[in-house]
Amino acid sequence: MSRLRRFLRTPEALAGAILLAVLFAMALSASLLFPGDPQAIAGPALLPPFQNWSLPLGTDRLGRDVLVELFHGARTSLAVGLAAAATALVIGAVVGTLAGFAGGLVDEVLMRITDAFQTVPGFLLALAFVSVVGPSLGVVVVAIALGTWTGPARIARAEVLSIRERDYVAGARVIGMHPLEIAFREVLPNALPPVLAMSSVIVAAAILTEAALSFLGLGDPNRVTWGGMIAEGRTVLRTAPFLSIVPGIALLLTVLGVYLAGEGIVETTAVRRGLS
Amino acid sequence: MSGFTISRRTMLTGSAMLLASTSMPALGWAQTPKKGGRLVLAADSEPRNLNPAIVASNGVFFISSKIVETLAEASFDGKDGLAPRLAVSWEGAADGLSATFKLREGVKWHDGKPFTSADVAFSALQIWKPLQNLGRTVFKDLSAVDTPDDLTAVFKFAKPTPFQLIRNALPALSSVVPKHIYEVGKIEDNPANNAPIGTGPFKFGEYKAGQYYRLTKNADYWGKDEPYLDEIIYQVLPDRTSAAAALEAEEIQLAAFSAVPLADLDRISKVPGLKVITKGYEGLTYQLVVEINHRRKELADLKVRQAIAHAIDKDFVVKTVFLGYAAAATGPVPKNDPQFYTADVPTYAFDVAKANALLDEAGYKKGADGNRFSLKLLPAPYFNETKQFGDYLRQALAAIGIDAQLVNNDSAAHIKAVYTDHAFDLAVGPPVFRGDPAISTTILVQSGIPDGVPFSNQGGYKNPALDALITKASETLDTAARTDLYKEFQKQVAADLPLINVAEWSFISVASEKVGNIANNPRWAVSNWADTYLAG
Repeated sequence: MSRLRRFLRTPEALAGAILLAVLFAMALSASLLFPGDPQAIAGPALLPPFQNWSLPLGTDRLGRDVLVELFHGARTSLAVGLAAAATALVIGAVVGTLAGFAGGLVDEVLMRITDAFQTVPGFLLALAFVSVVGPSLGVVVVAIALGTWTGPARIARAEVLSIRERDYVAGARVIGMHPLEIAFREVLPNALPPVLAMSSVIVAAAILTEAALSFLGLGDPNRVTWGGMIAEGRTVLRTAPFLSIVPGIALLLTVLGVYLAGEGIVETTAVRRGLS
Repeated sequence: MSGFTISRRTMLTGSAMLLASTSMPALGWAQTPKKGGRLVLAADSEPRNLNPAIVASNGVFFISSKIVETLAEASFDGKDGLAPRLAVSWEGAADGLSATFKLREGVKWHDGKPFTSADVAFSALQIWKPLQNLGRTVFKDLSAVDTPDDLTAVFKFAKPTPFQLIRNALPALSSVVPKHIYEVGKIEDNPANNAPIGTGPFKFGEYKAGQYYRLTKNADYWGKDEPYLDEIIYQVLPDRTSAAAALEAEEIQLAAFSAVPLADLDRISKVPGLKVITKGYEGLTYQLVVEINHRRKELADLKVRQAIAHAIDKDFVVKTVFLGYAAAATGPVPKNDPQFYTADVPTYAFDVAKANALLDEAGYKKGADGNRFSLKLLPAPYFNETKQFGDYLRQALAAIGIDAQLVNNDSAAHIKAVYTDHAFDLAVGPPVFRGDPAISTTILVQSGIPDGVPFSNQGGYKNPALDALITKASETLDTAARTDLYKEFQKQVAADLPLINVAEWSFISVASEKVGNIANNPRWAVSNWADTYLAG
């Protein structure tokens, strides 16, 4: 409880938390407030915002409601961001733990593979992966995770290297626990906090990567995505700039919110550690 | 909004009037032609092979038609819609087994060698017939080209070939390249494919990848006092939004092929010094078509295809996707074709209730989720409009209980998926009507075409009656009888719906008012521009 209070006392964290809460509310309420197909044609095409109160944010080139698309886009952004980050963290933690705990040849092999992935820019990797496999939500998640799991892997390995020398690990060995059991039941949980601290950065990066992929036409075409909305609006940027600006602002606020909230969590935990 | 509608309508009526009255003078703001100057224009693609005799496509013609000329060019007021270029006259034999071309005197290649009938014979037999994407069909029965003298070429056909078809094919298919350059080595690997040598008003200057193509004046051009321009620069601007900005900044003087997005035209037409021109593309009509995979059992049912046709609001597509710069289609020949079009075909009015009833009748009842069945929809990625129509079609199909899942691909993957792998249920395609149904239209519905031929019937559609009609028309020599057969062809296609024609559109040019003699023939953007000039 006190941690939460401390978290909410920092203004940045508070702002981040509010932004995130709004975003989650948008994502969760999308189907309740706007049931049916978000891409359905709702009115005349290219209606500017604030002209017609049944279509408050106006319509796009086909006459689809921008507000509805914005809400449903929040779902996609958030789902992809969280799923990609979770996938990246799981892969990273497992690879890092195995490498750090096993050492020797296994460590060498796993870390060289990590190096190989790190040398390729994450976005290019995602781009290549999606263009080969074909765009769908699951593929986009995997594609983003492919480029981001290396960071968590390195941090997990570093943590594990120090933890595996602790007494309780030696103890577990003595009572005859299987090495894999020690790695994943004793070592990994203790190596996790610094890895999780990276999650906000990864989620923010994942949301941006998803938007960039959709912008390039490599998102799932059957779902509304903010990146896709920006790309659609780009062709009419001079005549209807709001079509790109509205989802652009949403994207900016989301990434800002995730980042600020993540910073807040890191700060609070750091303060707690410092005090204890 | 209302101002927008009015200006669009005025523009359309304007272009329709120009179309109707062929005697109307060239556009009003043209001053007296002036010599000299450099025309800078936007190019959105960079074709690697610039040989129009091999790759007969608008992207290649856009640049190379100024360098390499054809036997004849399309014309608003010429006989049979043609104006002479390298040929001065042409005549088909009554038996359809030969066609005689008289060639222009005193024409020189850019390297100084004289142009003769041997070049025409070589181009026709060695390139158009075996290598050219379109010539393979039109010239398939060409057996020899006799050259009794340097200025006469007699095309001999193994089977009777309608001269109407050959004539209609001249503007796009008859690019003549120099024999003395191409007779050495493999034609496909000839360096002149990348730096063409022709007889045209402009010579190939240089090409900087990602930057520009430069063409320079051919001082020895056969046309009197032509060309007017000293240089043409194709500035590579792949981003469609940048062409409008470049025009406004006066960095370029012309953006052809709708390089300026349709949604920007209303704004740009109000910029002083710039003109929006809808004319000059009458010979390059694109058709918005829903391609159907008849291997799917639901789509093999005529009632389902009729239901889909009834579900598409063509007026909405014209108004919203094309912002009025298109026309609703009735069948496989576009309305603006002067020779073949007939309106006397079955039509499908926008009627969702009827579409639903047809689907119920066909036995595909709505399930608990409101869906009857699911389809894979592949919109072609070449144009914004084809992609947007894909989005619209998905909604239109949802309204009649068909769940369409969009699959987006890049150009290469789309061609492979649709025309080689047949991994589609519905696809949105933009085939081109090239002045004669036999050039690139009948192939869209004919059966027996090998897998992998792009822009052909790869939907597994087989209709022996229609195939017989197509074969009969291809052998009919009499122009009137042949035209009637193609009218019957339109009727049968509209009745059986091997594919659904939705709309027909062409391109828009935006140019500085200084550019003169714009849009003075139906294929202006891909013609030779010998008479184009820049006023002071």
